[in-house]
Amino acid sequence: MFYKTSGQFKTSYKSDQALFPVKQDAWLLIAILALAYVVFPLTANEFTFKALLVPVLIYSLAAMGLNILTGFAGQLSLGTAGFMGVGAYACYKITTIFPEMNIVVALALSGFFSAAVGVAFGLPSLRIKGFYLAIATLASQFFLVWLFEKWAWLYNYNASGAIEVRTMDFFGLTVTGPTATPLTQYYFVLGIVTVVTIAMINITRGRYGRMWKAVRDMDIAAELVGINLMRAKLTAFAVSSYVVGIAGAMLVFFWKGAAEPNLFDIPMSFQILFIAIIGGLGSILGNFLGAILIVALPVLLNVLPDLVGIQVHSAAMEHVNVMIVGALIVFFLIVEPHGLARLWGLIREKLIIWPFPH
Amino acid sequence: MKSLTKFATLIAASTMLVGVGAATVQAADSLYTPNLTYRTGPFAATGIPIMNGQRDYINMLNARDGGVGGVMIDFDECETSYNTNKGVECYEKTKGDAIVTQPWSTGITLQVLPRTNVDRIPILAPGYGFSPMSDGNTFAWAFNPPVSYWDGASMILNGISEGNLDNLKGKKVALLHLDHPFGKEPIPVIKALAEKHGFEFLPIPVGLKEMQNQSAQWLQIRRERPDFVVMWGWGAMNAGALTEAAKTRYPMDQFVGVWWSGHDADLEALGAKGKGYRSLSWNVPGNYPVMEDIKTHVVDAGNSMIENADEMDSTFYQRGVVMSMYLAEAIKEAQAKFGTAKINAEQMRWGLENLDISEEKLASLGMAGMTTPFSTSCSNHTGHGGAWMLRWDGEQFVQDGDMLSPDRDLIMPMEAEKAAEYAKNNAPWPGRGDLACD
Amino acid sequence: MELLYNIFVDPFIQMYEAPDFLLQVLWEGLVSGVLYALIALGFVLIFKSSRIFNFAQGIMVVFAALTLVGLHENGVPAWLAVPITLGVMYVLAVGIERVVLRPLVGQPDIILFMATIGVTLFLIGFGEFIFGGENKVMITEALGIPTGALEFEPFGGFVLIEEKDLAAVIMAVLLVIALLAFLNRTSMGRAIRALGDDHQAALSVGISLSTIWVIVWFIAGVIALATGIVWGARAGVSFALEVIAYKALPVLMLGGLESVSGAIIGGLLIGLLEKLFEIYWGQPLLGGNTETWFAFILALFVLLFRPQGLFGERIIERV
Repeated sequence: MFYKTSGQFKTSYKSDQALFPVKQDAWLLIAILALAYVVFPLTANEFTFKALLVPVLIYSLAAMGLNILTGFAGQLSLGTAGFMGVGAYACYKITTIFPEMNIVVALALSGFFSAAVGVAFGLPSLRIKGFYLAIATLASQFFLVWLFEKWAWLYNYNASGAIEVRTMDFFGLTVTGPTATPLTQYYFVLGIVTVVTIAMINITRGRYGRMWKAVRDMDIAAELVGINLMRAKLTAFAVSSYVVGIAGAMLVFFWKGAAEPNLFDIPMSFQILFIAIIGGLGSILGNFLGAILIVALPVLLNVLPDLVGIQVHSAAMEHVNVMIVGALIVFFLIVEPHGLARLWGLIREKLIIWPFPH
Repeated sequence: MKSLTKFATLIAASTMLVGVGAATVQAADSLYTPNLTYRTGPFAATGIPIMNGQRDYINMLNARDGGVGGVMIDFDECETSYNTNKGVECYEKTKGDAIVTQPWSTGITLQVLPRTNVDRIPILAPGYGFSPMSDGNTFAWAFNPPVSYWDGASMILNGISEGNLDNLKGKKVALLHLDHPFGKEPIPVIKALAEKHGFEFLPIPVGLKEMQNQSAQWLQIRRERPDFVVMWGWGAMNAGALTEAAKTRYPMDQFVGVWWSGHDADLEALGAKGKGYRSLSWNVPGNYPVMEDIKTHVVDAGNSMIENADEMDSTFYQRGVVMSMYLAEAIKEAQAKFGTAKINAEQMRWGLENLDISEEKLASLGMAGMTTPFSTSCSNHTGHGGAWMLRWDGEQFVQDGDMLSPDRDLIMPMEAEKAAEYAKNNAPWPGRGDLACD
Repeated sequence: MELLYNIFVDPFIQMYEAPDFLLQVLWEGLVSGVLYALIALGFVLIFKSSRIFNFAQGIMVVFAALTLVGLHENGVPAWLAVPITLGVMYVLAVGIERVVLRPLVGQPDIILFMATIGVTLFLIGFGEFIFGGENKVMITEALGIPTGALEFEPFGGFVLIEEKDLAAVIMAVLLVIALLAFLNRTSMGRAIRALGDDHQAALSVGISLSTIWVIVWFIAGVIALATGIVWGARAGVSFALEVIAYKALPVLMLGGLESVSGAIIGGLLIGLLEKLFEIYWGQPLLGGNTETWFAFILALFVLLFRPQGLFGERIIERV
């Protein structure tokens, strides 16, 4: 009833291929954007910004980067956190070497460093694939974290061995450092995530996106129809690592404020892979749904006992929390192996024909 | 379809929660002192006994004296598993009414450090954190009594050289350390002392993933034959190193650990093979009157998280007790100065800055000789008391020799320099700002 | 020039000058290699029979060791604790098969892989909930494993060999022999291999998928217990042990995901080479701690030239 598509006729190929072939989709998106841009900022408190909204956005972005590689181009990667680290350290070095540089420019530049490293570690994909490639990407993961630890130049020989973010302005508005208000940081992150998301939707719908999908679905067939496999795979690594690198830099600059090398260790890679897979491989929307489940749900589970007034010891809660997250991952994989995005697709189909069963 | 409805309810429930956020409910007439614990994860082995001690001392004060100055203390724990992401979450969740924050992990401390200036909440990090935090004029809101890691490095070297560092001339000192900011902390001080006194310094890093498998590191020790091995270990690394040392037959009396490398349980596993191993400690385990009070009011009353009363004798448990004592004493100082029992975070900061742990005070608390006396001031947020060597006699840790003190003349300028560097890197750094020093 | 000398000449001079030390390094490498091989075996068995890349093998090691120690702490004698632990591992195997694997039959590999990571998380939380996070000591003596050390004095130096390491190596060899005998000589073993070769064909000749899966997971559990005992005796039992699962991954790359012999030889090779590299090149030249990545980079290079790994049975994932 609410999602009725009758009466919306497509009269040209172009309109059939439009971003929103169904009018309601556009309305829904506007509603979500209104929620993100207007309702949340008006209602959320500092804890909600810092522990829920900002991390969810940043992790969605990282998962989106991974999804380009794994979901669209079919190359399984377990090294995401290492590339995030490259982005973060590059951004740190750029902003300390050129303190006058605009933070957005620095972010955009740091993505190129992670893209270059991504392409270098993507070279094995030309020879191997599947789990062998996945383990090969772990090589980058372990090597990069080791490098962050050993190469003191990267952290400017700080006594603490960690990178720290100083206060930076964006056209007079403080966006990083302790004095930046959570609201400003939230809007800033939201803005960047929106722009990158729009860019990614367009890339994946365009020439490169189709090339990647062809390689994913059957590489030999793709090669036969004239797709250059090397180019397809390496561009996927480049674009993916670029987005992942930006997400890494944002993680440190707009959320944490300081980072030790082992932040970028393997648990984060897995966390992002979870987001991408639970959200749905080959979907942009899925990354956001996945991040809500994987990043926000544990936080909510932690505050739940307080809200309902049960006294649970924090450590016991943490054990239960880990168990719940593990069980949920298995649960969602069983219920819908294609991810939450697919689940939404099913709901949407039901809605379209509702109230009729078929 | 059934699962779909389940899923929908889940989503609905979580969206409802977003709006509510963290509403940590506190009783209006208590002082909220959260502790960001790590009772889970790879470092839990170190965390659990200390955090039990911290918790039990406060519970004892609540049960015996009705809190501090007539106000109950709400000692809440938020579990981080030593994970810095959880650290952000816990800090944000607890900071609302907190009069102090105890971040644990050096990584979380670094993350929280700049924010506490803005949120105006003091950090209490006893025996950990970033050594230059001692410079109170730069780090107005951070406190790491009674000694910093740099002090610790200097004291260990004083200990092994029997008071005269020139005895080390021509010798080789290895630092077996966790390859992590915490483990790298003592390097600048040992390096500086090595240059000054002419001994050779050899850092040997242990990766986070290699903590339990240190055969490569101990092969290196066998090859290099250092005269002393100093250990900067945490969690599972300590047990791994001690086992390997016993295995390679490295002389235990030339093997010395920092205060986090002196967990009784790690050495109990070795028993007599660990005899002679020393660990620096700023508390001496023993039977103090305060432990009796904790036993009567908390452990026997069933309010403790320890499984059997023997755990109360461990060095780490008692160190936790000492840490909470600092917290309680700072509250008392602030209460006396501001004439109110229900102090706020800013008053608590003053209390920590004017902490005076004298011998007499320790005696009156039933803790005579349990920890080092010290006092903090505006420029000295650490106190730089001192520490003892504890020697493992095959069954337990016993005090070995007199109290050691750090070489402050060497360390002070280094602290000032690194603190200035931190302020510069994090410009504009507020420093003391509008906080008066009185 | 000096750098080249340090890379190509100096390490070998050192090896020559201190042959007893070199022997000790090789022995340590061998012992680590045996452990890596054991973990890799657990992976290979499950992968062979079900095409599942079982990430939970690492936590199964911890879980088995913790159960054993936990039982002993509660007064169960060692001879009884071992079979009970095996029983627990069997229940775990059945549980994983029923709850996780059966509903996921036929899904893409990556989904099954993620499910095993989900299982890992669940077991971490569950294990800490039951056993607590403290370090525990393996009940080496109660199990009758010798704890002394043998000292040899070749070339005027000395080599120390821990009896428990020796016991570990012997135990691993026996386990591998038993396993190979099981796989090659018994009808159940042949069924497992048949399933590994072709699911459809195996099913059509009446091999029960679910029975085989339970058995394979149970064997993986037995291997996990053996690994847990051996590694726990060396370094104590705690959740930090879980990271050893990562050590098995380059072994799998090198040895091939489906080859039992590849896992064994790959494990030994990596154990030896990474120790040699760390001692003679990593520590003097790179600031140490190279063991975290050396095996991966090595495997990566091998794979660039032999994409099926050193012992891959066939070229499966070649581009």
